[in-house]
Amino acid sequence: MRTIGVDVGGTFTDLVYCDMDSGALAIHKVSTTPDDPSRGVMTGIRELCAANDVDPATIDYVFHGTTTATNAVLENKGARAGLITNDGFRDIIHIGRHQRVEHYSIIQELPWQHRPLVKRQHRKTVPGRLVPPTGEVLVPLDRDAVRSAALELKAEGVESVAICFLFSYLNPAHELEAKAIVEEVMPGAFVTTSSFISPQFREFERFTTAALAAFIGPKVDRYIDHLDTALRDSGINGDLRIMASNGGVATTKMVVEKPTLTLLSGLAAGVLGGKWIGDLTGRSRLITFDIGGTSADIGIVVDGVFAETDARSTSIAGFPLLTPMIDIHTIGAGGGSIAHIDRGGAFRVGPQSAGAVPGPAAYGRGGTEPTVTDANLVLGRLIAEDFLGGGMTLDEAASRRVVTDLAGRLGLPVEETAHGILTIINANMANAIRSRTIQKGIDPRGFALVAFGGAGPLHGVEVAAMLGIREVIVPPYPGITSAMGLLTTDLKYDVTRTQFQVSGAVDLGRLNSDIAAMEAELSAQFAADHIDQADVSFRRIGDLRYVGQGYELKIPFPEGEITAEKLTETFEAFHRTHASEYGHAFRQSPIEIVNLRVSGIGRMPKLDKLTAPAGGSLAEALVRTAPSVFRAGDRLETFETPIYRRAALPVGEAFTGPAIILQTDSTTVMPPGTRAVVDASGSILITIEAAN
Amino acid sequence: MSENTLSKTSAGRAAAPTRVDPVTGAVIQGALENIAVEMGHKLMRMSYSSIIRESEDFGTALTDATGRQLCECRMSTPLQSGPIPGYIRGILKQMAARGETLQPGDVIMHNDPYGGASHGPDVGFAVPVFLDGTLIGFSVTTAHHLDIGALTPGSTGIVDAVDTFAEGLQFKAIKVVEAGRRNEAVWSILRDNIRASALVVGDMEAQVQTAQIGAERFLALVNHHGLKTVMDAFEDLLDYSERLMRDAISALPDGDYAATTHIDGFLDDADPSRRDLPIAVTLKVRGDSITVDLTGTAPQLPDKPINMPLVGTVDISIWLTLRSILLDSVVYGNIPQNEGLTRPITIVAPRGTIANPIFPAPVIARFCPGNALADTVMKALAQAVPRQVSAGIGNLRVVAFSGMREGSQWVHMEILEGSYGGRFGSDGMDAVDTLFANTRNNPIEDIESHLPIRVDRYELRHNAMAAGRTRGGIGTIREFTFLDDGAFSVEGDGHRYRPWGYDGGQDGFQASLKLIHKAGGAEDLVSKVPYHKIRAGDHLISEGPSGGGYGNPLERSPESVLTDVLEDLITADVAERDYGVVIVSGKVDADATTARRSAA
Repeated sequence: MRTIGVDVGGTFTDLVYCDMDSGALAIHKVSTTPDDPSRGVMTGIRELCAANDVDPATIDYVFHGTTTATNAVLENKGARAGLITNDGFRDIIHIGRHQRVEHYSIIQELPWQHRPLVKRQHRKTVPGRLVPPTGEVLVPLDRDAVRSAALELKAEGVESVAICFLFSYLNPAHELEAKAIVEEVMPGAFVTTSSFISPQFREFERFTTAALAAFIGPKVDRYIDHLDTALRDSGINGDLRIMASNGGVATTKMVVEKPTLTLLSGLAAGVLGGKWIGDLTGRSRLITFDIGGTSADIGIVVDGVFAETDARSTSIAGFPLLTPMIDIHTIGAGGGSIAHIDRGGAFRVGPQSAGAVPGPAAYGRGGTEPTVTDANLVLGRLIAEDFLGGGMTLDEAASRRVVTDLAGRLGLPVEETAHGILTIINANMANAIRSRTIQKGIDPRGFALVAFGGAGPLHGVEVAAMLGIREVIVPPYPGITSAMGLLTTDLKYDVTRTQFQVSGAVDLGRLNSDIAAMEAELSAQFAADHIDQADVSFRRIGDLRYVGQGYELKIPFPEGEITAEKLTETFEAFHRTHASEYGHAFRQSPIEIVNLRVSGIGRMPKLDKLTAPAGGSLAEALVRTAPSVFRAGDRLETFETPIYRRAALPVGEAFTGPAIILQTDSTTVMPPGTRAVVDASGSILITIEAAN
Repeated sequence: MSENTLSKTSAGRAAAPTRVDPVTGAVIQGALENIAVEMGHKLMRMSYSSIIRESEDFGTALTDATGRQLCECRMSTPLQSGPIPGYIRGILKQMAARGETLQPGDVIMHNDPYGGASHGPDVGFAVPVFLDGTLIGFSVTTAHHLDIGALTPGSTGIVDAVDTFAEGLQFKAIKVVEAGRRNEAVWSILRDNIRASALVVGDMEAQVQTAQIGAERFLALVNHHGLKTVMDAFEDLLDYSERLMRDAISALPDGDYAATTHIDGFLDDADPSRRDLPIAVTLKVRGDSITVDLTGTAPQLPDKPINMPLVGTVDISIWLTLRSILLDSVVYGNIPQNEGLTRPITIVAPRGTIANPIFPAPVIARFCPGNALADTVMKALAQAVPRQVSAGIGNLRVVAFSGMREGSQWVHMEILEGSYGGRFGSDGMDAVDTLFANTRNNPIEDIESHLPIRVDRYELRHNAMAAGRTRGGIGTIREFTFLDDGAFSVEGDGHRYRPWGYDGGQDGFQASLKLIHKAGGAEDLVSKVPYHKIRAGDHLISEGPSGGGYGNPLERSPESVLTDVLEDLITADVAERDYGVVIVSGKVDADATTARRSAA
């Protein structure tokens, strides 16, 4: 089995090739081609195959992380979309939750009004109304009105349509009827329904998610089609699988039908890659810590399972998105984050970033503001002549100049200023991790931090120390951990049904028949994808809350037939989870099952091991020593620090910090008070001896 | 402090002098904000009633031992977190008067509108934080409760309360937990005197839990950095916020800027002194300070509850409006909300006016006048910073629905949105909460799944868009049908007075409310409706206000007017009448438009 993983980022497209039988592994990096990302993808694949003597015809799968949909939303370049909804509710996606984004601003714009996904003129209303609790028909659907609406949309040049009716999550009949009519009137148009995209209550969020699907649908369809054709033309007949936000991959057909699945997928592969690295070292409680030039992305893995967001916390470009997704917390903190003094005279780092152009002053591309990268260089943690494995020389004098200027304005010594930049950015990152752990009742001290991305290994140890975390794992290829994550995925589809059932009066028959129907739907999907039934498994998750609450907690549901006893256990688990997340359980309160979801997992072949490079000895790995600045107690001290070449580090031989480890795609910093060893899987395991 | 030496440009800007080194200061600020956000997250998610969890009508904050706010949660609505310092001062004063002392393990409940609370339904819970036996601060949550035991169901629309005693239960610094032991008597009183008490008491429990978590985090922070460092960093934060506000005020030309607006009051009241009440604001800008003088504002209504507590409503309304305009967060980012921001501002509110009532004048329905005051402050400030304001806003209205189901009482509150006026660079925001409130509506699919109410319509109004170079925001039309017998009450304003247009822009559109009886007949309702019975099948139609226009409508680009018509916000004849833009079969007739506009 031979697979390729391709992850398209803003600057680079990362590729990994793996022969699962021989264990051969190769990596490659090309520039992203923003006008048509499939060009970069194809160039990368061709070069990767050529460089490693791989016949493209022997590739079984291409796993692909794409930002096509994401960029369409972020850049507001989607389709001219239409929407058909109930009479009286034309403006649900315009009014939103009637809440401003900013409390304290008059000049702000509301994304859903300022950049509408569907203009009002393309939002049509028709008679028809369903009502709770069962989705019973109060007013029948006016089919003629639907037809007229479709004709109008067609005349207006609309290329995609979202059909969004109230309570369709209880009964999709009206949406399906309308969809059939619209498809008949507008052949070739992208037509979808809110109950298909995300059958959950809360109309603004569901309609918006469906409108997002219509907005990006045609573009995603064209992109996938384009790429698929290009792959065939290059002689690759293996299957293309696309990364989804839920941490699984999907078939191209699925992604074309539900394009919203990919909207937040760009970050998901990173969490998977980090989790997989942790798995290889035998750690199951992990914080994945992926830092690039502009942002830090944080994911949490508890006992081998990554956390998922709740339905109400996911958004893109200010639009709510109802889709199952890995809980990834992103903050504006990276190597390019700019250190500055704000209007009030306070010292800040980020969220503004110098980006790649002009970039940090150290890049010598005209950057004049001090960044995190400049601070690392001034402190001797980045080595000017060894950046990117010597692929780029940093301008240390420029870094020192901009940091010195800032130091003068702060009234601090230069080294203190540089160190202050790192302390502030590290504290911001530590706060972001706290918000996903301590604030949810998880004690991070028992976790290992997997530090990757170009800048993760530079900051990992100091951030871990701030949180009392004792262990940091640096993967073999920190810069392409996300692309490797693509090779560790399964097919994963989710089906949801809103229940609104309350403890004490749960209709077990309905619950079980809903589960059976959802599992049957998933089985049929996997059969259509040619997945062997033996490779299919299901996971059931309920969204539960105390009656009256507005936020749900995700509680696993037991397998098999749900009985009263099993349900009692599930409710008990809810009380426990509530207590651990919020510090309290309301044991007297009845519990409401809001949604029930089944995730179907279709097992895929995957990368199962990494072998550490043969390595040499510490002496061979030692490039030289150089002065680096670290904090020792309450003052800064310069240490003559050994600089090692990563590829030559021996497996299993411990060494201590301070140390700096160089490799092409990242630099690892070990402050004093740390010790490290290269694991058999090739990762560096750093232990912090004196966590504060 | 030499803020005058600070450079205005980013590159050469110098750091301000601070007590704590700038790195530690930044780290402590981040940690404080993190605590407040955690508190908000937990309260919002644990709470039961939609007014907290959906509308986000709650606040969380940490204060020092005297009540000065260290940090607030960004999720909370400004009108909730803003008053928290006042709650603490009220608690301290009340306890001193009674000779009581605080001890570790206490939880204090407080809702005295003449002692810092914003109004009775906004109940605060404060947990004192002790370090080695010394009081160092408070962890506080506030939230709007569905019911507080007033004369009729719900805690809004109590527009006929004759004094504060009629507004519901009053708690003046009551220990609901004393040294770690729950005061069960108080909890029983709550359960026995409040409607829908399961929800309300559940929310209160969530508040207590949240405040206790905040207290733990606060103590951990102090233990980590040391009390002196944390408090010094806090003083630096106060100076920081103060410096920003003084800089912004300094940029205004010295002078007096005055404006008056009117609120409906009780339009159906026979007594004219209860109608058409002026709110008068004079901003006296002198150097880096502002005095906000409310002289000329209507006398208090001794027995009608639209008086505004000076501490908790009037002060918050003024502070929040000034900061939203002068330190707009789109330009300035997040600025710590603390006393530093208010130090340069002095408020003069004559005693015995609706802006400084005398106990026991009722205040429970102070929400709409408070927001009208905010709007008046903006109208005055428009003269100094016309590019930073909007034309007049459409005010909000609150409706409480109630009834009996299966032997128990249900209460539901809905905040009916307003809209913003046009702005210098862009049209007004449609259908949104305005100025000092920022709550969320309830999903229709949630309302109908849990209450005997059907929502028949929720859309923008048609042909109700104030013309201007930038147009005013558009209000909503909402319709409800009641599926069971029950009642509703309304606390609103803006049924008579149109939101003000600015600089040649048209005035906006008033709100309205109409009840259509299933049995036949209809009533046009005024903006304040006390407990009003309804029968199953009755139908309520609400039109929300549209904000004022900004600038001369004839200067609006014909393409924008065409878009307004294509978007079906106004009809072509309105485009011609208000904007002088002639539209023929979906296109602008340029010649006719030029002729029409030059003739105007």
